[in-house]
Amino acid sequence: MARAGGITNAVNVGIAVQADWENREFISHISLNVRRLFEFLLQFEATTKSKLASLNEKLDTLERRLEALEVQVGTATANPSLLST
Amino acid sequence: MTASSVSREASNYDEVSMQQSLLFSDSLKDLKNLRTQLYSAAEYFELSYTDDDQKQIVVETLKDYAIKALVNTVDHLGSVTYKVNDLLDEKVDEVSGTEFRVSCIEQRLRTCREYIDHEGLTQQSLMINTPKYHKRYILPVGETMHGALRTKSKYLGCSLDDEDDWNQFRDAVRATITETPTSSVRKGRSPSPSPRHPQRSATFSFTSTVPKKQLEKRTVSPLRFPLLRSGSVSSRSTTPTSSRPTTPSSAAAARRRYPSEPRKSASMRIQAETENSKDIEQYPSKSKRLLKALLSRRKSKKDDMLYTYLDEY
Repeated sequence: MARAGGITNAVNVGIAVQADWENREFISHISLNVRRLFEFLLQFEATTKSKLASLNEKLDTLERRLEALEVQVGTATANPSLLST
Repeated sequence: MTASSVSREASNYDEVSMQQSLLFSDSLKDLKNLRTQLYSAAEYFELSYTDDDQKQIVVETLKDYAIKALVNTVDHLGSVTYKVNDLLDEKVDEVSGTEFRVSCIEQRLRTCREYIDHEGLTQQSLMINTPKYHKRYILPVGETMHGALRTKSKYLGCSLDDEDDWNQFRDAVRATITETPTSSVRKGRSPSPSPRHPQRSATFSFTSTVPKKQLEKRTVSPLRFPLLRSGSVSSRSTTPTSSRPTTPSSAAAARRRYPSEPRKSASMRIQAETENSKDIEQYPSKSKRLLKALLSRRKSKKDDMLYTYLDEY
């Protein structure tokens, strides 16, 4: 009887250990995927930041050029003799 | 029709953009709510695992929930990042189009400025636009040849008198007319005592220009019309004809060396003409026999025609 109880305990321990390893494997898979997702989010942040920076630079340049054009047009309209010649 | 279609397209574009923005905001809200949902699910499974007896079932449910939550998160993040990328690319394209428009406007402004500067320069430089006529010799009736000859002589650098030029030109025309066929006729007509130097130059220039048949005829009768040839020689030495472009320069050079030579030649030519007229007057009495002999030798119809023409001339 004692020998049979010891065998069943060993089997139960083995089953529990296997289940534990399965759970660990599952958690490792989940953590790996979450880490990949995190890396993707970091990469996306970097690319989006660079794109936004280039866009901001372009908009700044455009703003300066438009201001210069506005000043030139204002000067030309302020002196209509230039346009009449 | 076009306005309505444009308005429809604009309305469709606005609707599509509104739907896209709504979807984007919904996905962003879901991502924001996902965090709280995950925290609440974790608390629920923790309590149920501690309180409930069927722990295995709770663990299996927790696994399924974690997998679904991860997949949902990936989907949400994928859609959001795609939309963000699309929006950024769209904005970059709009900025590029705006830069192109601004560069076009700048180029137009630069062109206008250059035009204004050019006009101002032309106004301020006080340039007189002299009329540029086409190079053309308009020769009215009367003194036209005179004027043309003057312009030509001016162009070639000769400084001869107009009358002298005109006479020389006329003599040259006569000489060129009488050069080819009437040599035999003239031979008998002009036995004038002209100096030998012009004769030699006349024969030399004649042999350099005349064809071989006429050259043979010339060799038969040497130096029999010196007066006319001397006139033609003097005219040739001073007339700037186009067929002999070296003649005016040589004449000009000779004139530079001996300024009084054209006058001298002109006076000689006038003398020779007077003598020629005298000879023509005395011609029937003096050299009638010689003329008859020549005419008997070389008389032909052509010569007769030319002879009459020369008499008229």
